[in-house]
Amino acid sequence: MCRDVEVINKNLNLLKEAILRGDSEAARNAALILSEAEAPVVKIIDEAIRPAMDILGEKYERLEVFLPELVLAGEAAQEALKILLPKGGAQIFKGKIVIGTIYGDIHDIGKNIVSAMLSANGYQIIDLGNDVHPTKFVEVAKTESANIIGISCLLTPSMFYMRDVIQRLIDENIRDKFYIIVGGAAVSPEWAKEIGADGWAKDAERAVELCNILMEKGEKIEKPIIIGEWR
Amino acid sequence: MDLLFNILDKTLTGPITTKRDFEFKLVPQITRQILKEYGLEKTFDPSNPVNSDLNLADDFYRAGYELALRLGMFCPDTSRRVIFAEEEIREALRNAPSEIALGYGKDRVTIRSRRPEDRNPPVAEGSSLGMAISEEYFIPLCMAIAQYRVIDIILAPTLDTINRREIRARTPYETIMGMYEARYIKEALARIGRPGMPLHGVEGAPTEYGYFGGFLWGGFDPDRTIGIALIPEPITLPYQILHRVAVNHLLGSPLEAGHMLCIGGYFGSPEGAAVGSIAAQILQAASMFPTLVESTILDARYFGNTGREALWSTSISVQARSRNNKIMNLGITSQVSGPCTEMLLYETAAISIAESVSGIAIEIGTRPAACRYKNYGSALENKFFAEVLKSAAKNLKLPDANEVVKTLLPKYESKLKDPPKGKSFPECTDLKTLQPSREWLEIYEKIWRELEDLGLPRWG
Repeated sequence: MCRDVEVINKNLNLLKEAILRGDSEAARNAALILSEAEAPVVKIIDEAIRPAMDILGEKYERLEVFLPELVLAGEAAQEALKILLPKGGAQIFKGKIVIGTIYGDIHDIGKNIVSAMLSANGYQIIDLGNDVHPTKFVEVAKTESANIIGISCLLTPSMFYMRDVIQRLIDENIRDKFYIIVGGAAVSPEWAKEIGADGWAKDAERAVELCNILMEKGEKIEKPIIIGEWR
Repeated sequence: MDLLFNILDKTLTGPITTKRDFEFKLVPQITRQILKEYGLEKTFDPSNPVNSDLNLADDFYRAGYELALRLGMFCPDTSRRVIFAEEEIREALRNAPSEIALGYGKDRVTIRSRRPEDRNPPVAEGSSLGMAISEEYFIPLCMAIAQYRVIDIILAPTLDTINRREIRARTPYETIMGMYEARYIKEALARIGRPGMPLHGVEGAPTEYGYFGGFLWGGFDPDRTIGIALIPEPITLPYQILHRVAVNHLLGSPLEAGHMLCIGGYFGSPEGAAVGSIAAQILQAASMFPTLVESTILDARYFGNTGREALWSTSISVQARSRNNKIMNLGITSQVSGPCTEMLLYETAAISIAESVSGIAIEIGTRPAACRYKNYGSALENKFFAEVLKSAAKNLKLPDANEVVKTLLPKYESKLKDPPKGKSFPECTDLKTLQPSREWLEIYEKIWRELEDLGLPRWG
């Protein structure tokens, strides 16, 4: 018993450090050992994965880590969560998000930052890349049984395709199966309201907050949820 | 055309890599290595947001040049890197133009390469860059901006409808929009009495369709218009952009090659972003043979360039580029607060001063509220931008610029993540006279008085 506690504590630290370094292999190994030692999944998330992500988020704000490190850390966390999945079930992820930059728009740094932040905060991410046709968002969300569809857009003439994603869901009578969140340089809170999206956030940090709210109490509260609107 | 064929050939023959490896491995790893090799890590000085150490700027240039050679570009259409031999880069820099005249009659403007502390003022380009605008306000806003003679060139905002139809990317609506943007802006300039003013477009075209539409006969005049070819971050060379390059070369029209990169993004730190932006300038010159090169640095935390880190990176990058090659550098002021707020003018003053005194050749004016809100741009902030830009060139040295910016920053930097939205174009403009509202004019006068007190005389 004592030895198990020691093993668990040691590997919780190793897992946290592995995520902070963005070392997927080390994260996977630590998660395997924790799984074999029957460490509670909640404990692993609360004491290793979440603290690592919080540290990274703070470091990003202070410009001590950058997008590539966030991406690698997110991947390391996802590796660990995959190991824990059989024990914890799908609920070890906060939710599954299909994300991409909308059709006609080839810019993706904003979307990549949001993806990395969400991934690092315990969401399973299906990243469709940039210049994604509205139909593809819907098809992949259905196939993957996603909870949230995240659509990014930098350019006004591409923005209108966001509405097509929502319309397609309505036409297929599946609008209530997914939360739709929108963001990016061209997208205002007014636009989110106009097209019937479920949420808008000003930046990556607040996109995590938005997804947390939607996953925790999205059914009970009025939408769209707007976080960080200009005053 | 042989040069362009050479680039196209490179996109088919360069080393294969994935987008992911280029973005998340090669770019950050090589940037970090070079920063270390050249001793540039931790050189960002938050207490001096406008760099005054020109030897340090030269070190950054050498590092950026090395990054350009080692990294090259990435073509996502063929998943290949586009690598340049040093002689190709040298030749591109040798052949880069250093002066161009655009426009007709008394509205004709000459853009020239500048150097740090150059007393010849930069060319001021008015705009609400990237901002969506209602069709009914497009011509009035362009007229309102062009009425100020201190503004030399105009770039349109982004039309979101034509005849109330939504402009959708990659559809014939977009193709038609290109032509309408050109016609509307020429109509605005004719009405305000500046028919020969130089143009920059097609601003509203997300893809090559709108771009081609805009350059058809009767649209943007090739001898008066700077075309736009903006490549995505990090230093990516897609065919969609090379289509535009091909069109401009076939037409013989001036071209802006542009790239924006983010502090906090693929190149990392303020120092990494500075080195990355220098490499981006050199690589764009080598791959697109442009007339002007834009290599903007934004801060990914708020997607603007008016914070301390972005101002420093921008200043040292522009100094490095303008001292070490003759390319005409184009800058962009990218604010986060909206019109009719003091913050918008503080932000505008800080970035305009930093760019002007560091050696920018031409600067594009304002992007209020990060251009996220439709119709949230006006003419007065453009006038203010152009006046500050030109006065700074005439009156400030780098240490003076640093002192002024140091005084301005504390007035707004804590609000960069939650800025005021301000007022829309019709809310802060008399649409009959195209004059700013009294409230907006009072704010403008107040901030100018503050700048005068800081040692920056009014322009004109």
